[in-house]
Amino acid sequence: MTRKPYSLQGRLALLVLGMLAAVWTATAAIVWFDARHEVEEILDSHLAQAAAFVVAQYQHDRPASEVQVDMLSLHRYAYKTTIQVFQDGRLVLRSANAPTTPLVADGGATGFQTVLIDNARWRVFAVHEPATGLQVYVGEQEKSRNAILWAVLRSTLWPLVLALPLLVLAVWWAVHRGLRPLRGLGRTLLERRPDALDRVQVDDAPAEMVPMVDALNALFQRIETLLESERRFTADAAHELRTPIAAIRAHAQVALQETDDALRRHALQHTIDGCDRATRLAQQLLTLSRLEANAVLDEKQVDLQALARRELAEAAPRALEKHQALELQDGPPCRIYGDEALLAVLVRNLVDNAIRYSPAGARILVHLTQDAAQTRLSVEDSGPGLPAEDLARLGERFFRPLGTTESGSGLGWSIVRRIAAAHRMVVEVERSTRLGGLAIHAVAPSQDKAFATN
Amino acid sequence: MRILLVEDDALLGDGLRAGLQQSAFAVDWVRDGPSAEQALRTEPYAAAVLDLSLPGKDGLSVLAAIRKAGVKLPVLVLTARDAIDDRVRGLDQGADDYVVKPVDLLELAARLRALVRRSHGQPQECLTAHGIVLDPAARCVHQHGQQVMLSVREFDLLHTLLLNMGRVLSREQLEQQLYSWGQEIESNAVEVHVHRLRRKLGATLIQTVRGVGYVLMRPTGPA
Repeated sequence: MTRKPYSLQGRLALLVLGMLAAVWTATAAIVWFDARHEVEEILDSHLAQAAAFVVAQYQHDRPASEVQVDMLSLHRYAYKTTIQVFQDGRLVLRSANAPTTPLVADGGATGFQTVLIDNARWRVFAVHEPATGLQVYVGEQEKSRNAILWAVLRSTLWPLVLALPLLVLAVWWAVHRGLRPLRGLGRTLLERRPDALDRVQVDDAPAEMVPMVDALNALFQRIETLLESERRFTADAAHELRTPIAAIRAHAQVALQETDDALRRHALQHTIDGCDRATRLAQQLLTLSRLEANAVLDEKQVDLQALARRELAEAAPRALEKHQALELQDGPPCRIYGDEALLAVLVRNLVDNAIRYSPAGARILVHLTQDAAQTRLSVEDSGPGLPAEDLARLGERFFRPLGTTESGSGLGWSIVRRIAAAHRMVVEVERSTRLGGLAIHAVAPSQDKAFATN
Repeated sequence: MRILLVEDDALLGDGLRAGLQQSAFAVDWVRDGPSAEQALRTEPYAAAVLDLSLPGKDGLSVLAAIRKAGVKLPVLVLTARDAIDDRVRGLDQGADDYVVKPVDLLELAARLRALVRRSHGQPQECLTAHGIVLDPAARCVHQHGQQVMLSVREFDLLHTLLLNMGRVLSREQLEQQLYSWGQEIESNAVEVHVHRLRRKLGATLIQTVRGVGYVLMRPTGPA
């Protein structure tokens, strides 16, 4: 079960908008605190000025009895402000909306205070002059102060609030537009035939997408190469199998029609030989296909001397049938790192080829040498050898040199080369100086992992 | 009928040779390109079966080379490659028929007989002349509706003369058509077989051109 994949567009827009919202809120908060601070300072200074004015006025023109000033008529905001003047604890002047008791209960020091009167918060500036016994209170409702503050903030924050939805739309559009090449690539891939392996062309791909498109194209290239080699291999294999099948069919048909007993037996024997051939070929093809699939090597320490002894024991009966002398030169254990099963296939193929392509009575010598520089497996024979141009072509799949009477597909050589390559070995082919025929050396350098000091 | 088999695979070549011999062909077998070219240039085969993937020189090159040298015998290409391109290329290079492995031996023999017949301008399966009907597939001969029993060599000799009606063939030419390599040719073999054929089919059928050879004349008068 796979989760529905998230939308890149949605995620990007959300991220950008989230950041915007955070920055916006922070800005608004700073504006809020700053403006409030400034407004309060201005209003407080007005209160203080008003108080100072009242004190100066009072000392100059002292009323005998309590005077009530109807400040409501002065300004529409006036009812939100209030004034009290006390002389020696006696109320001498007050605005109409002011209570008769001091606005600030304890009436103490000069300064600002916030008090609660009739469920409304008031900002009060008190002046206390012990020398003249004068107490002046100038108050202003917090509500009105806040209204002013709001008015100031409104003009600052409104544009920001209005801009928010526009920003949302703009960000969405910008992200959508920015992701257009990506959607284009998606569409291109969707419209391709499922088996298309040509390069993807993205016009004006942005720098961020170039590695992706390049990687994709490299992948297509690899798949194509792989498929091509697979196709070629399958075709070659099918063709190669046709020959033994044709031989089996021919001999079987001859046997069916033959009346002569000896000839019939001969044909039947050849039918069986054909089956063995096909089996061997199928085995070789399987080995080769496994090697071509680049299967992981099961590497461990292998004693080539012991391995060669086992393989030669296996091959000896075939050599004896052809009256050939098959010999393994005795030597100390020869350890290298490698895949034992594959190395066995390599030795088997080399020995098998020597037996097949050397005439009856030939000598075949297998020997191993190991020194600080390299490990060398050599298979030499006293057969006819090969001319230089054929030596060069040896190992091409299905190549068979001229004068070959043995049935074979040339696959053995491909297998040898591949196993050697997988083991970082070099295969050298030359005229044998000891026996005069073909000499094949599989050489593993010692500085390599293929060589292991014991 | 003597044919050349060119096949590098020992097992398959052996099977094809045995099968074609069962169908009464005299078979010479070579296993590589250069030998095939050499044999086709020098020996008068009735037809050739040619494998394409050969050591030394591939089948198509051999075919091109002998066609260039003016060798006209019918060639049946036998190959594992069955793509249309391969077939077209083979036929363009001068092949007369193209058979993909594995092949039925009887079909191969029938195709070879048809190729030989057509190469001698004979569209019908049976060869007819002077009241004689020769069926190459069934390997039987009728004269005026009566079956005439012939030995293998007698049949092949009559077959060759009928295919080359109106042409004088030397004793050597006839021998080369009848025997493959390694087969012992009895002295006077051709004379003996001609003599027996005359006894079985009538003295006037095969005429001797003294010092030159033998000929089976085209029927004269209304065809």
